[in-house]
Amino acid sequence: MQGFSGKAAVAGVGMTDLSRHSGRTELQLAVEAARHAIDEAGQRPDAILGYHLGDSAPVIHVARELRIELGWHNEIYGGGTQCASILGDAAMLIDAGLARTVLVYRALNGRSGRRMNTLSLKLGEGVEEQFTHPYGLAGPVQQFALAAQRYLHHTGLTEEHLCAVVRGSRTHAVANPRALRREVEDYWASPMVASPLRRADCCQETDGACALVITSADRAPAAPRVHAVVRGGGPGASAMDRTDDVTRIFSSHVAGPLFAAAGMTPADVDVALLYDAYSWLVPRQLEDFGLCARADLAATLHDGLATVNPHGGLLSEGYVHGLNNVAEAVRQLRGDGVNQVPGAEVALCTGFGGSYGSAAILVRPGTGR
Amino acid sequence: MAFVKAGRADVITRPCPPTKRALAWHSMDPRPLPRPNALTAPYWEACRRGELTVQRCRSCGRRVHLPEPVCPHCGGTDLPYEAVSGHGRVHTFSVVHRAFLPGFAIPYVIAWIDLEEGVRAFGGIVGDIAPDDVRIGLPVRVRFDDLPGFGHIPNWRPA
Ligand SMILES: [Zn+2]
Repeated sequence: MQGFSGKAAVAGVGMTDLSRHSGRTELQLAVEAARHAIDEAGQRPDAILGYHLGDSAPVIHVARELRIELGWHNEIYGGGTQCASILGDAAMLIDAGLARTVLVYRALNGRSGRRMNTLSLKLGEGVEEQFTHPYGLAGPVQQFALAAQRYLHHTGLTEEHLCAVVRGSRTHAVANPRALRREVEDYWASPMVASPLRRADCCQETDGACALVITSADRAPAAPRVHAVVRGGGPGASAMDRTDDVTRIFSSHVAGPLFAAAGMTPADVDVALLYDAYSWLVPRQLEDFGLCARADLAATLHDGLATVNPHGGLLSEGYVHGLNNVAEAVRQLRGDGVNQVPGAEVALCTGFGGSYGSAAILVRPGTGR
Repeated sequence: MAFVKAGRADVITRPCPPTKRALAWHSMDPRPLPRPNALTAPYWEACRRGELTVQRCRSCGRRVHLPEPVCPHCGGTDLPYEAVSGHGRVHTFSVVHRAFLPGFAIPYVIAWIDLEEGVRAFGGIVGDIAPDDVRIGLPVRVRFDDLPGFGHIPNWRPA
């Protein structure tokens, strides 16, 4: 069990509207989401953590707008890998007595401002680009399409199954007023971006912000607790030149350590908020986190999964770099989620960045977990 | 300018796809050019000679690609480039229908290639094959195409 396990709780979540053109600054978005989260929590933060890719509002500006007397504060450079592990960063500050209440946020004009699609995912010193850019490989969609193609080849899954993932996501999102994509469209009419990924297989770049307020468990006794958090990675989709398995993503590295840290097994997970920036990441994570055996993937995806991304996930709700999935994990444990999973006591949420990332388990208090 | 190294690879000029860039002067080709550094300059110089080379570690004998200053297997620092056969198989690929870089005529195919020598190389799949016919496992052979303003870069064609 990790030292901070059960010591911190997510007392409030807040979001702005998600859109393709917010017409507002990242600071305005961050402050609005933060105010919602602070109101819900009924606790004033004394610390702030944000993550960004050079595209968000600075922490000290957010503090100034909110008139927060700032103690510990930090800005973490990173995208999707951060959304689960930042719960651990906040819980550590609280457990160590360095903060009472931590505001966590991600704000971006991901569609109208700085877009992700050509963002370099290079590791190291950038040698790789001279071997890929001249051939027209740029940005995460194409990189993870290459992994997806091999994944379908490995597993025997087909585009029919990617279609089933998207259909499941959209079907869930119909009940989610926050979702950007709420219609079950014709998957096969969706234009191919980079095979096997169509536009519908990719989450949509989004303008918006999401915030969480994390405080000590004794200040918010009824709020979902941060139970276990891991962060890590290794060989796989992030360095395809030298890995045995280009389909390997963060989940295959962090799933074992997560359940070990949590003292749980996959059977304990009631609801999973999987980082579904691309459709194929859902079956890959279902396998890695032990939620579905490879042999059962095809049938399971076809039938749909009520306990996975019940709000529609990043594919349909929108893309606030995964933090909006974490917010839904909190709601599901409080009982006010979208397509609420009855009696959900344990939630898994994940943060993807190729073969590096993070995952967290949140639990509802008072259930003996 | 470039020439065929006998038995090693074919060097041909890149057939311009039927786009407006076919009319452009070579120096105006908007595709990104490789920017060699001290580590990679010998690789690109070999390409200009129509020769595909990869690093081989003097300490442990293993091949290394993409280029590294230090051997990821043993930590060796002497990694000269050596010619390889230019034969391989498609490890994975994607048919790109939306380009995020300028100058590419869609659809085009990008791929990681497992070389016979046990390393993985990147490139385009070109030549006498329709994009939708590319498959994982397809045997391919290197082909050098002219990238105007730079010189020859390796691509892959069905073997
Ligand atoms: Zn070596």
